Amino acid sequence: MNRLERLVAFISKPGFRKGWLGFIIAFFLIMVIVPTVFILTYAITDWNSIQTKVLNDPAVTRMITDAVIASFEIAGIVTLIDFLVGLPMAWILVRKSFRGKEMLDTLIDMPLAVPTAALGFSSAIFWAVTKPDVTSPLGLEIIASPFLLIILLHVVFSYPYMVRSLAAILQQIDQTYETAGQTLGASKLTAARTITLPLFRAGLVTGIILCLARSLSETGGTMIALGTMANAQGFQIGPTLIGTWKALGTSMNPALAFVSIILIILALVLLVVMKLLVMKVKLPAGKVWPRWEKILSRGFVPKSKDGFSLFFLVLFVLVPSFFIFTYVATASPSGSSNWSMFWDSLFASFVIAAVVTVIDLALGVPLALYIARGGHNKLPASLDVLVNIPLIVPTAALGVSLSYFWVGGNADTASGIWLIILAHVAFTYPLVVRNVAGAVEEIEPSYEETARTLGAKPVQAFRRVLFPMIKASILAGAIMAFTRSLGETGATQAVVKNANTAPVYIVNLINVQHDYYTAALACILLIIVSYVFMLLLRYITKRREEVLK
Amino acid sequence: MPSISLKQAYKHYGDIRAADGLDLEVQNGEYLCLLGPTGAGKTTALRIISGLIRPDSGSVSFNGTDVTHLEPQDRGAVLLSQTYSLFPQLTVAENILFGPNIRNLPENEKDRILADMLDLVRLTKRPDAYPRELSGGMQQRTALARALASGAQILLLDEPLRALDARLRISLRRELRDLAKSLNMTTVHVTHDQDEALVMADRIAVIREGRIIQIGTPEDVFDNPVSPFVANFVGQSNFLIGEVVSKREETTVKGERGNIVLARPCPFAVGEKVVVGVKVGNTEIAKEGEGFFDGMVERILFEGRNLHVDVSVEGVGRFHSKVPSWRLGKLAVGDRVKIKWSADKAVVFSIPEGGLEKELKVE
Repeated sequence: MNRLERLVAFISKPGFRKGWLGFIIAFFLIMVIVPTVFILTYAITDWNSIQTKVLNDPAVTRMITDAVIASFEIAGIVTLIDFLVGLPMAWILVRKSFRGKEMLDTLIDMPLAVPTAALGFSSAIFWAVTKPDVTSPLGLEIIASPFLLIILLHVVFSYPYMVRSLAAILQQIDQTYETAGQTLGASKLTAARTITLPLFRAGLVTGIILCLARSLSETGGTMIALGTMANAQGFQIGPTLIGTWKALGTSMNPALAFVSIILIILALVLLVVMKLLVMKVKLPAGKVWPRWEKILSRGFVPKSKDGFSLFFLVLFVLVPSFFIFTYVATASPSGSSNWSMFWDSLFASFVIAAVVTVIDLALGVPLALYIARGGHNKLPASLDVLVNIPLIVPTAALGVSLSYFWVGGNADTASGIWLIILAHVAFTYPLVVRNVAGAVEEIEPSYEETARTLGAKPVQAFRRVLFPMIKASILAGAIMAFTRSLGETGATQAVVKNANTAPVYIVNLINVQHDYYTAALACILLIIVSYVFMLLLRYITKRREEVLK
Repeated sequence: MPSISLKQAYKHYGDIRAADGLDLEVQNGEYLCLLGPTGAGKTTALRIISGLIRPDSGSVSFNGTDVTHLEPQDRGAVLLSQTYSLFPQLTVAENILFGPNIRNLPENEKDRILADMLDLVRLTKRPDAYPRELSGGMQQRTALARALASGAQILLLDEPLRALDARLRISLRRELRDLAKSLNMTTVHVTHDQDEALVMADRIAVIREGRIIQIGTPEDVFDNPVSPFVANFVGQSNFLIGEVVSKREETTVKGERGNIVLARPCPFAVGEKVVVGVKVGNTEIAKEGEGFFDGMVERILFEGRNLHVDVSVEGVGRFHSKVPSWRLGKLAVGDRVKIKWSADKAVVFSIPEGGLEKELKVE
């Protein structure tokens, strides 16, 4: 106890606190932000090789243009779909009460815990016309366009993000505004559209940016879906192109760098444009069409809207997520599966995800506190903006940039695992920071201040007062970071050639070895392990809460 | 029990001067009310004393020892915020023991403190309740017990009665003051409610724009305001601008429309322009007899104990008067009345910079 007290006294010294804060900010800038965009310097230092190897080669230029355009088209369409079907679903979740609501709540989150590699395979065998050697008797076999299939796939994992963001903001909007509107004579639809919807913007921006970012980043599931369907030869989106080229070796470095630069710049431009657009553009809230909106507010239309929301959730999100189970039940086993490789990769994935989560928490929570409690000072406010950058940058491009920053683009296997960890930290760190900063901002500083005047040192005030209040958000951030790291393919592939993590291993099973059955089993194992792990985590934290009480 | 001394404390946020040369002396065991309108810098002063804000310049000392650079946890000055900030995840007992736990006191001593505190604030039956399960008054008492249990000797109260409903607020005034006094704590109580300050304080410090403009006993601040602002903020006043025409035992002032009024002796020379202020409670109205002004009753507000009467005097303006409510029915709107006051109730001020209206503005 005495040693602990001395430690507490030491870390409470103003000098130490300043140094620690400096370290946290330096870590964030040097280990997260700079590596994320470092590849942009390649355009200056190595313009010649870009010129000769990329711009003068029409085939390569063509591939890049096609892939990047496809990436952004898909992300845009997916986000639009998510918004249109996510809004009514968020409304149901927040404004309605019915039996089974809690279950619906859980169902919406379920795809979040399924690694995207598994989603890719699952969606492909459900929707797509598959390759002849993939036999899925229950599959619909109706989608022959790779473009369409990828849209359907991306909707599955981005939909929960949109619903959650919209529901979160809807929860905060006082319903009395809408009720007031209705007592003033507005129909339900008019009140919702002209009063509540305009208050939505912040949640909408968050939802849109999350969906765009997820769709622009996703690699593993997309590669698997494309590898499973029949006629996807040559179809690439940005991240899959990076994955394919990285596997070809260092000769493709200029092309890799160029496509990454394009993706990063476009993503950042998109981020800025989205923020400006949603904040500045006026929704037509002033105009009212009372008769039509009255008709639309009653009877058949609202009911069918709710019905459609549920139908969409089941057919386009849940079934494609878990369709993989029917495949293993019906397909014939393949003989030659080497399981030790898979267990190794799974172990590696877990170690990486665990280390990444620990780093995120240890260095992300302090930054979140600084951002949330920094008031209107310039430094915390600008850090708050910077945190968004790794969220929007496609992770494959981030991986290329990171590998260029640390090892000049040529990683050997020894440094590989550390590079993977750094890459995963870069895109999961903001998740923890965002979550925790959001939670801290909700809590009045007077709690900590009172604790301080009661005699608590800053670290004690955090540990005893603030921490118990934000524990749930820290946990949520940690789960997000962990599952994102566990399921990540794009950054891993881009940072190290031949990395051996579970999702990369599954991609290889399908795209190189064409061993679909083993891949499906591996996917299911990954799903089960993810779920078990999440339940365990919930159980542990719940029990600790009970002990605390 | 420590005294508190703030010397020339400055704290500016851009153009906002939250503390603008704040000087304040609080004596040992004194109950001081810091009274001022919203935005006057009351909370800033309290936070500077507690250490939550470090002043841009100036010093804070307790018992003559400079504590300006001491962290809040090392000052022994506990802050009770407006919303109490009871830790929601802790029970009443755990909240009270927060300070003793931080200080690592031995178990038996903690038990003793807890028992004493629960007893003191009459919560012996609810030690295991969570804050959300308590009524507003109980929450307030828990927060107070938590503050007292921390071992601090300085109690800083930031509008401690604000969140309570009106009746409870009034009944708790007495209790809060007695508790602080019985434990001999040095207390700074921030409030914007003049009645609260008048009833509770040993001394009142009136603060405005980041500066203390008057400090004294409630009677003193009420009766001998140093400026029209204080005269009006601590008990409403009527004002008349005029010119000193003679000085004997009492001052005679001639208003701009020629009305003659009497006031206390003053340091101003004959011929100087001045403002005369008199509390509405000391402004008498009568239908008969002599008066300084002739006016007409414009409005009568029934306030229970008193009647608030507005009288308009042609060419001069509106005067307010508080009269006992037994006069209800004896006065009616439209009545012609005389307005007067005894000379020793009226105070003479110099003309404020920027004019009377700006001086009286409560931002």
